[in-house]
Amino acid sequence: MIRQFVVTLAGVALTAAAAGAQDPRLASRLPDADTRAAVEAVVESARRAGLPTEPLVDKALEGASKRAPSERIVAAVRNLAAHLEVARRALGPESSEAEVIAGASALHAGYTVEALSALRARRGRRPLTVALAVLADLVARGVPRDTATAAVLALTERGVRDAELVAFQSGVERDITQGAPPGESATVRSVIESDAAGGAVGVTQGNTPGSGTNRPTAPKRRP
Amino acid sequence: MSDIERDELIERVAREVRRPVAVGPGLDARIMAAVRAERSRATDPAARRAWRWLVRPRTVALSPLAGLAMAAGVAGVMVLLGRGDSRPASPAATTAVLVPAAADVRPAANTPAREVQFVLVAPRARQVAVVGDFNDWDPARTPMRVSASGVWSARLPLALGRHEYAFVVDGAGWTLDPSAPSAPADDFGKPNSVITVGESAP
Repeated sequence: MIRQFVVTLAGVALTAAAAGAQDPRLASRLPDADTRAAVEAVVESARRAGLPTEPLVDKALEGASKRAPSERIVAAVRNLAAHLEVARRALGPESSEAEVIAGASALHAGYTVEALSALRARRGRRPLTVALAVLADLVARGVPRDTATAAVLALTERGVRDAELVAFQSGVERDITQGAPPGESATVRSVIESDAAGGAVGVTQGNTPGSGTNRPTAPKRRP
Repeated sequence: MSDIERDELIERVAREVRRPVAVGPGLDARIMAAVRAERSRATDPAARRAWRWLVRPRTVALSPLAGLAMAAGVAGVMVLLGRGDSRPASPAATTAVLVPAAADVRPAANTPAREVQFVLVAPRARQVAVVGDFNDWDPARTPMRVSASGVWSARLPLALGRHEYAFVVDGAGWTLDPSAPSAPADDFGKPNSVITVGESAP
């Protein structure tokens, strides 16, 4: 009898917690009840796992704003939840929410778990959020993933600050705008920034995480 | 005729042939003009000749009444064209730049952030909003203000890190920022632009 009461009480408490956890933004922006229920289930599951939930709600709102079909919204939210979980594992349990979110973005951009783990290992306890964001942005600009990973790892190894990482990324963007090949720009600029940070370690295009220790040749000029 | 007489005859003819011929002034120019005209006729396509005919200036005589009738016709055509002119949802020219502001700001959550200015050049747009992961992708949250020259802008404090965003033009047009990279992964068929907000440069 007492056991039944406890189970019932726990069920009521869980239901109440779940109801309380419902995000009013989802209720107002996701008119379809099934879609809303599916998204809320993923959000609740992430909350119990201690994962950040705001990116999941945000992903659903993005889908709603773009008038995406229900199944696509739910699939995107589930996929992001999986990336958040993998990112937290790769970056370690001590990682901040912002780092886990940035790590999930990097995974979504095609980076590997190994790349994230290598970055954490070299960066130590210093925040990774901006480094991961730069990593994802370099791919968006057309820099090959291996090259971007090697460049950011090399810079991280030299202890560059977040502002210098962003300056590095801005430099690559400028080079690409002026017609430079993205990979070569990232490679050469990582050497320049590394030198400025007090080291001469550079990267070679296509290096896998942890193997970038060669000084690159100067980029070829375009005809 | 003896051989001697034949030789003298040949010599006289030869002298006659060798004598310089006096030509009138401008003969060279006339010959070259004729050669050019011939070559032009041979190589010019019909379209080019027709174009030259069209653009060659002419004097047209027009009575005042005919001039008024012609002006009325032109005005009528313009009115008809104006009726069918519906402004397109997307702007004719779209260019955007991101300008990090000089001053740092910290939002209520005490999260490190910087103020970022979004700018879109869209002179034909009626309304523009910036949407992104910083405002729930809600066009109503961040409407942009327009200047007299059709430059739309909005300033927002963004947390440090990576943000995805887009411009919504006239309520429907999902417009990317051409000066920013696009997010490599696109979940919903409409890609986003990406901005990385870092600390101020040292």
